[in-house]
Amino acid sequence: MSALIKWKNHHIEDVEVNLLLHALNERYGYDFTGYAKASLKRRLLELVSYFDIEHLSQLIPIMLYDEAVAQTVINSISVPTSDFFRDPFVWLHLRTHVLPELASFPRINIWQAGCGHGQEVYSLAILLHELGLAKKSHIFCTDINPEFLDDAKKGCWSTRNADIWRENYQKSGGNGTLSDFFIEQENKMFIRANYKQNIEFIQHNLVIDDVFKEVQLVICRNVLLYFGTDLQNHVLTLFTRSLERGGYLLLGRGENILNLKEQHLQLELRDTSLQLYRKTMDMDSNV
Amino acid sequence: MYKMLVIGLSAGGTPLIRQLLSALPKNYSLPIAIVAHLPEDHPNHLDKVLDAVTDLPVRTARDKEPIITGHVYIAPSGYHLLIERNHHFALSHDKKVKCVRPSIDVLFGSAAEVFENNLIAVILSGANSDGADGVAMVKKLGGLCIVLNPEDTVFNTMPNAVIRAAEVDYIASIEDIISLLVCVDEK
Ligand SMILES: C[S@@+](CC[C@H](N)C(=O)[O-])C[C@H]1O[C@@H](n2cnc3c(N)ncnc32)[C@H](O)[C@@H]1O
Repeated sequence: MSALIKWKNHHIEDVEVNLLLHALNERYGYDFTGYAKASLKRRLLELVSYFDIEHLSQLIPIMLYDEAVAQTVINSISVPTSDFFRDPFVWLHLRTHVLPELASFPRINIWQAGCGHGQEVYSLAILLHELGLAKKSHIFCTDINPEFLDDAKKGCWSTRNADIWRENYQKSGGNGTLSDFFIEQENKMFIRANYKQNIEFIQHNLVIDDVFKEVQLVICRNVLLYFGTDLQNHVLTLFTRSLERGGYLLLGRGENILNLKEQHLQLELRDTSLQLYRKTMDMDSNV
Repeated sequence: MYKMLVIGLSAGGTPLIRQLLSALPKNYSLPIAIVAHLPEDHPNHLDKVLDAVTDLPVRTARDKEPIITGHVYIAPSGYHLLIERNHHFALSHDKKVKCVRPSIDVLFGSAAEVFENNLIAVILSGANSDGADGVAMVKKLGGLCIVLNPEDTVFNTMPNAVIRAAEVDYIASIEDIISLLVCVDEK
């Protein structure tokens, strides 16, 4: 038998990452194996110092038996970073073009996938109110992580970033003030109840769950970044099935569909810098 | 032998990177990925500035895009830029590292793992210590590390931090850095 070969640590860490993902999937049914590996590995390795262990693989037995530890691992894989009216020029375009166009539909169904702590879904609700479309709109607001969904449902954030959010809102074409939408109390801001009215919060995993039918707009920003190419393709097919013909898909500013022309014939790119797509009108494309 | 060049810069770095890119021959083959700290949520103009001074194709790096020889890629503002094992770029919106996003440490760390001793890492100027951990990682995995001589810039916090964090291979003037980069590509 030949001698075993020495490996560099970072290759061994790749093995540890894969083992941990398989354990998480078998034990808890969360399948992150199709996620983009480079940033995922960075986030997982932060757990090594957090739990004060030497190697990531030492977390596996702990996580298998302790649900609270598993939840911490899951939270560190699904990153909830978000802002109100993040990338204001995108919201300005929604305000001036996309939503006014959807106004001609009798009902507007919107699927906001990957809501994090809810900043984005309430940004959307604020826009719908300001455009007078709230009454005929319904928003399916989904995330894989029940803890994030609970926070989103509560609609409460620290005021730490309020200045940035105010500036974003103004750049997105808003004329109101933050106090129109929030109640402020002891460094916390709460969304006013009427902005929650037409939002339905649902736990939904894009990897395994099915679609919401007949929506006119899908907003899924900064989620596909975390997926590998195959998983991204799978989810884009879900969104295409979910959309009515002529409906819009909005991805994150940094996202990118590489194989649009080959694999997603029913999606047409409307604007690269916005990452706005539209489902084509023709009847017989194959998806 | 080298397959990838990564460059990090912050305050004071724009004239330096312009000078560097304008001096590279138009058949320069190493792909180049650049992280520059720019104001977030600003349309990325560095690509236009750099495109004007070089014949090499300059673009903003996009998620899941394969790295092409001889191209110059710039990390988009507001996102970390990483490299996957299959030599495709990946963007992430993970939290800031050392208060910045994109982070030089993040790009250099992921590039080091993928390219090991086929990587060259260059740090120009800057007023923070981003890049120090990244260069240390590049060094540890066998890559070539080059830093601008701190005496050549008033924004020397970054080069000094890098020199403290790792046994870099070269501390050099911008002219010497250019000669080195041209020379390694000709081999
Ligand atoms: C970076 S946040 C994006 C927040 C918001 N959309 C934005 O762009 O500001 C990514 C969100 O995607 C969620 N997510 C990750 N994987 C998911 C999956 N498989 N299914 C549904 N949501 C997922 C995470 O829990 C997290 O809340």
